[in-house]
Amino acid sequence: MTAALSLPLRAAIAFLVAAQSIDSLPPRHSPRSVAIDERLAADYAIRLGDTIVIAATPAAVGDTVVVSALVRRSRDPSEVARGAYRIRVHLDQLQRLVGYGDRVERFAVGTNGPTATDSSLAAIDAAAFGFRAYSSHEIAVESSTTFLVVSRFHRAIGVITIVASAIFLLCIMLLKVDERRRDVAALRLMGISRRTIVRSVVLESALIAVLGSIAGVALGAIVSAFVNWHYQRVYRTPLTFSLVTAQIVAIAVGISLGLGIFAGLLAAQRLVRRPPLSLFGR
Amino acid sequence: MILTLARASLVRHRARTLLAILGVAVSAAMLLDMVMLATGMRVSFGSLLLSQGFQIRLAPKGTLPFDTDATIPDASHVVRTLMARPDVVAVSPVLGAQLHVEHGATSVSAAALGTIAAVQGDYKLLTGHAPTRDDEIVANDALLTALGANVGDTLRVAAGFDPQLRTFTGQRTLRAVGRVHFIYLAAGERALAMPLESLQAIEGASRTDRASLFMVRLRAGANVESARSAIEQTVHTVSAISTETAIQQVEQRLSYFRQLAFILGSVSLAVGFLLVTTLVTVSVNERLGEFAVLRAIGVRRTRILEQIMLEGAVIMIVGAVAGLGLGLVTARYLNSILAAFPGLPEAISFFLFQPRDAWLSLGLLALCGILAGIYPAWRGASLPIGPTLREEAVA
Repeated sequence: MTAALSLPLRAAIAFLVAAQSIDSLPPRHSPRSVAIDERLAADYAIRLGDTIVIAATPAAVGDTVVVSALVRRSRDPSEVARGAYRIRVHLDQLQRLVGYGDRVERFAVGTNGPTATDSSLAAIDAAAFGFRAYSSHEIAVESSTTFLVVSRFHRAIGVITIVASAIFLLCIMLLKVDERRRDVAALRLMGISRRTIVRSVVLESALIAVLGSIAGVALGAIVSAFVNWHYQRVYRTPLTFSLVTAQIVAIAVGISLGLGIFAGLLAAQRLVRRPPLSLFGR
Repeated sequence: MILTLARASLVRHRARTLLAILGVAVSAAMLLDMVMLATGMRVSFGSLLLSQGFQIRLAPKGTLPFDTDATIPDASHVVRTLMARPDVVAVSPVLGAQLHVEHGATSVSAAALGTIAAVQGDYKLLTGHAPTRDDEIVANDALLTALGANVGDTLRVAAGFDPQLRTFTGQRTLRAVGRVHFIYLAAGERALAMPLESLQAIEGASRTDRASLFMVRLRAGANVESARSAIEQTVHTVSAISTETAIQQVEQRLSYFRQLAFILGSVSLAVGFLLVTTLVTVSVNERLGEFAVLRAIGVRRTRILEQIMLEGAVIMIVGAVAGLGLGLVTARYLNSILAAFPGLPEAISFFLFQPRDAWLSLGLLALCGILAGIYPAWRGASLPIGPTLREEAVA
């Protein structure tokens, strides 16, 4: 199968360095190999071994290449919203196709650990005028800004949700305890201490909170699985969007338990402060 | 009478009513925020794109404007082709680049736009005049501040470094003739604009007669979609994007926020509904005897139904009104978080208040309040009078 593909310059150049590891240089007379995005392959029914034409612009005469590999998008959050297809070609071939000369956009340098990284950065910056060397950490910080913003947004939404849940829980506990005012009045008249009543109400609310938390964690896990399934399909990426970790579960259960106990305590205190007969409505 | 009874019932349990109103207020705030989030981005982005009157943008084939470094060749020919169309009023070619700018001992990098001053729609002039000569530029406050420069100062710019010769390439000495605000750039992004041909010359042979983008203004009443389609068929090196398409593409990229808004908005409504239903149900259960007595003295079933539903609606509406104010405050806060998105134009607002949103939220909540009261109201109104009175007397 032959298909003419026009690819954005930047998209192709971004994979210049990685391109070197596709395979060794084949003889010039046969079509060279290319690795293409599996989404491109799926959308245009391209299979391994197919012959395609790649060119820098739609009108330009391109190179005929053989699809030797399909590549899946990496789990890179910064790539999620980008729909552009990526292909990986041999460095010299791409330089020729786009008229880039003996140039690259960046070099990736492997080092022997953090100390070597720091010294290499300093050495490269000092020696090579016109270059700027960055550590992988610096690049990660720079490229993850979007996700830090989203993370802050989620935290803010989380706080609002917690406030709403707290009020809801407090309201429900108040109603629940209030509903049992006659039972409480009877217990008080039988000589059961206020402290015991408060403890029993708090214990009950704690139990409700724990049971609610277990149900919430189960629901959260199901929703999380759905979110991952849905967005992985929407953005065609293996990236994990929602993660339920032990720490998140512990925080959720902790907050829920704390709120439950607080709501129970407040509702019980409010009830036991009233004289038993007034609880009977007399 | 209905109002008096409903009011008495709500006032009887002040703490409970207050908490319910507070709960509804938080739900209403969240609902308003989510309605604003769902529609704000679209409206805000659409008005930003149309703010300068350009309805169509042409980007290098297969790309979005300024999404890649790709450029369109034969820019002057493209302009002539477009201007020959009867439905085209103006065409503004734009070339984007990254330049190294020096002033005194300070040097920074900045985004540079090459435009034609007479038709450009990328910046608004704040002071000075638009750059028309080869040696003139205009800059935004972020760049002038970073350089410690003012309008009238001379700046040195360069397109890049030549590592072999160890010198700057495309070096020029230019004069800042104006202070501008760039419409489509992110807040704090350092930028300058200059005549298109000057930037093409600075960038060298690779950018000769090239542009990154064309903005096309159509005659009033022209069919945008048919013009877009015709342009794409005429100029093969470009993708023509109408404002509507651009909005759709941005929405697709940021669909996550719309879906989040839908989910959280639904959850907010559900929480408000559950809260009011629970409260009114418990309240009715506590007053079964009261309703039985009212029925016994001849109060009609519909009156009781109305009274109970009114209680639910009052909680919902009072909570919703309080929540709308709270929602505006939280929307402002949430918007300030999302405004930090890298590269987001300053004028884009994720949470854009429109009166329609407020009315929609209020209407949804009022409907929920009424619906929430239906079951307890039906229960309270359909009690058998005799057995209920006897049970209450025994209790």
